Amino acid sequence: MLKIEDLHVRTGDAEILHGLSLEVNAGEVHAIMGPNGSGKSTLAQAVAGHEDYEVTAGRIEFEGEDIADLDPEERARAGIFLGFQYPVEIPGVNNAYLLKAALNAKREHEGLGEIDAYEFLKLAKEKMALLGMDPKFLNRGVNEGFSGGEKKRNEILQMAILEPKLAILDETDSGLDIDALKAVAEGVNALRAEDRAIVLVTHYQRLLDYIEPDHVHVLSKGRIIHSGDKTLATELEDRGYDWVVEAATA
Amino acid sequence: MSVIDIAKLRQRASALPVAALAPVREAAVRALTETGLPTTRDEHFKYTDLGEISALSERWLTDTPESAPSPAADAWLGRLTAETEIDWIVVRNGRASEPSMAVEGVSLRPMSESAVAPEITTPLAALNAALLEDGLLLDIERTPERPIGLVFLDDAETAPGIAPCRVAIRVADNTRADIVEYYASFGDEAHYSSAFLTLDLARGAAVNHVRIQDRGRTHSQTQNLRVTLGRDAEFRSAAFDFGGKLSRNDLLVDLPERGARAEFNGLYLAGDGQHVDNHTRVDHRVGPATSRQQYRGILSGRTRAVWNGKALVYEGADGTDAEQSNHNLLLSDNAEIDTKPELEIYAEDVRCSHGTTVGQLDEKALFYLRSRGISAEDAHRLLVNAFAASTLDMLPVTAIGQHLTALLEQRLRDLLRKRDSQ
Repeated sequence: MLKIEDLHVRTGDAEILHGLSLEVNAGEVHAIMGPNGSGKSTLAQAVAGHEDYEVTAGRIEFEGEDIADLDPEERARAGIFLGFQYPVEIPGVNNAYLLKAALNAKREHEGLGEIDAYEFLKLAKEKMALLGMDPKFLNRGVNEGFSGGEKKRNEILQMAILEPKLAILDETDSGLDIDALKAVAEGVNALRAEDRAIVLVTHYQRLLDYIEPDHVHVLSKGRIIHSGDKTLATELEDRGYDWVVEAATA
Repeated sequence: MSVIDIAKLRQRASALPVAALAPVREAAVRALTETGLPTTRDEHFKYTDLGEISALSERWLTDTPESAPSPAADAWLGRLTAETEIDWIVVRNGRASEPSMAVEGVSLRPMSESAVAPEITTPLAALNAALLEDGLLLDIERTPERPIGLVFLDDAETAPGIAPCRVAIRVADNTRADIVEYYASFGDEAHYSSAFLTLDLARGAAVNHVRIQDRGRTHSQTQNLRVTLGRDAEFRSAAFDFGGKLSRNDLLVDLPERGARAEFNGLYLAGDGQHVDNHTRVDHRVGPATSRQQYRGILSGRTRAVWNGKALVYEGADGTDAEQSNHNLLLSDNAEIDTKPELEIYAEDVRCSHGTTVGQLDEKALFYLRSRGISAEDAHRLLVNAFAASTLDMLPVTAIGQHLTALLEQRLRDLLRKRDSQ
């Protein structure tokens, strides 16, 4: 589904990713772990198409197509979803409006008509119940005045409604208390499917207690230096990152 | 000094009908002879050049025939009156179509038939008075059922022109009124209109007010509204500037009595070749009294906007609570905003604050929306609409809400379309 080859990405004056390769297949859950500043968020932003992150070499393929020339909105409609580490507050833009507009943009891309207002409300309320969100959040400005946990739940709500093929969740666990973490994990687990891939970008192993990954990768200084199964995450939690970094540079 | 030809001005003034106003016109011509029109050397007109208006007056004074009525204007007026539950007073090319009103407790009559005389307080007021055929006096003695609208409609279809108008509005004690002030014009000839309005609220009166300026792009306008609030009176207002080539608004709020509250907000849009200037001044003469003002501007293309908000708190006006803010969204590098809040405080126990911001669209928000599949164009539109929405949310007269919402949407689309095509 997602194939990244020798990816070099620059932001500002600095190259952050120096030849990163990664392959994610449908049905899989991957965790990308690594110390702060290793390039985890840069990878997420580059796949989503943020203009500040310039791909200087290598390629990103989504479903067999090079997506270098696609705008962020085109990538989203094609089925790529980025869950933000810091979801943006947008006062004056209604949360329900954004959800509906996003869903309709995707439906239009798929050749479907706009969703019926009643059907949409039913769908939104059903997904909100699953995430333990009060329906009143539909009528608020996007993330406006939301707590950290509410913002992250709102990201997962968007994902649940859009049903992307590939979801990249950037530090979705940061700043969550245990209840919010469980709710978010439940939301993510509910979306695990044969035809969907999920990439969890995280600093800590904590989230992986609730969402079990198929593959774990360690990102350091802009490259994936080590990969393993779910036991790698536990090992990293116990021993830290230094041993992997040392082994890779040895 | 202005380039207005005084001899021609006097000639033109003396040819006007309604002889009762002749002495006022002559006094106005004399005043203007001494002062001339303001120039950019005057502090209050530092960023707004009235040269074009002087030049236009010259043409109009020589070239006397008035423009033929625009058929589009008739159709527009028909739609406006049909789709709003508002009693409209129509002032076309400076003249009231019908200087009377069949609403209980409300009287409308020509200013020349009343004891109210056009005031000559400034050079622009003098130019207005010199060329004024007649003004209107609107007395609201009892709370009317429906809002009262004043629509100032100018034709510039076949000839350039100048249309001065004056309206004095008085609202009796403990009376409520919803008032809409709407400026529109049709035709592509150069045109200047000058509006002077006064609004006097007696003790305990409350007025909800909306001003809409949607003039054509060849139209220049100066508009002046002076509001005086009696004891415990309340004035709530929202002003919208969408059109016009040059638009200068002066809002003067006088608070000579205790317990008064004035809350006025504004939204101005300015695209390529437009100039919009809002000057406000609040006189807090006694306390306690409250004033709140919040202006927002959206600028695009080669354009300039000016906002100057002054609050003057007199000695002894303790208990004054004054707040003012001006936020601007600049959508192009060629747009310029000159914003200046001014607080002048001579009292001791006051609560006063001001704040201004100038910024661009939030890039983080744009990317966030696009990452959800919203096109770049729609994301821009959504964020600009959101910026404008807060003024619309505080609309004091709901009867104009639907019309205004549609108009605002259209004008924002025009502004963004012009921006995209640059």
